[in-house]
Amino acid sequence: MKRADVDQLRTQIQEPMRWFVREARVRTTLLVNRSGQVLAQHGFTSSYDVANVAALAAATHSSAHALAELTGSGRWMHLHHAGHRRQLFLAPFDTPAEQLILVAIFDDESTLGLVQLFFDRFSAMVAEIPALQATLDRSDADSFEADLEAGIERLLSEPPEG
Amino acid sequence: MSDVKQVTLELSRIPGVRGAMVVDAQAGVPVTAELANGVPGPAIAAFASALFRRSGQAIRSAGYGALGAVQLEAEAGDVVVTGNDMLLVVVVAEPDAQIGLIRMQAQNVAEELA
Repeated sequence: MKRADVDQLRTQIQEPMRWFVREARVRTTLLVNRSGQVLAQHGFTSSYDVANVAALAAATHSSAHALAELTGSGRWMHLHHAGHRRQLFLAPFDTPAEQLILVAIFDDESTLGLVQLFFDRFSAMVAEIPALQATLDRSDADSFEADLEAGIERLLSEPPEG
Repeated sequence: MSDVKQVTLELSRIPGVRGAMVVDAQAGVPVTAELANGVPGPAIAAFASALFRRSGQAIRSAGYGALGAVQLEAEAGDVVVTGNDMLLVVVVAEPDAQIGLIRMQAQNVAEELA
């Protein structure tokens, strides 16, 4: 995805992201594409964390996709990991432009059911975003890393939201 | 699991009941459900578990011990939620249903599952 596309998308995705965080009561959330490019985030305070989680989310998605194909399970819907204090929800969804992956980390302020419920609505909202209505140009290998780093820096340079 | 399914089915057969579910209280997702068409089970399970948890916290904070049941009354019907920290019994009923009977049966089921 080109830098201009990402900027436009980030602007349009802010409101659905805020809505999801508020309604689902998640602590931390990240929206990436299948390449691990960060499109939006909430709650991260370190670029190192964002980059790591983004890369791991993309890798997890690829692994789960391969596992689903191997086992004849078809498309996987979501991955849920319940820890002692925090839980992880990771789910892919389609938009007209490309498939995106939402990572949400929550504690006992929320539940899997609430996160699932609001994820369904969030994904529908995001799929209607104008910037995601057309197939987007892919960045080449040389520019991808620079775009990724610049995107993370911009995301983290914004003041934290309520 | 068959017992859980059976009690859910029995609850759903009470006149005026539009849906009955056993819900994982921690995750807020249905374990078993018997629902009439149009009853959004996963959404009700998610909100019912959140409501039960919050109400339980409030009751405990007030020094009244563990929460027994929550009953929501609305124009289009009632929702009864009862259970414990592990499993909840959630019943969705029509406005003219015998809510006392439903509540008693739901609590019996919750005690059986405990």
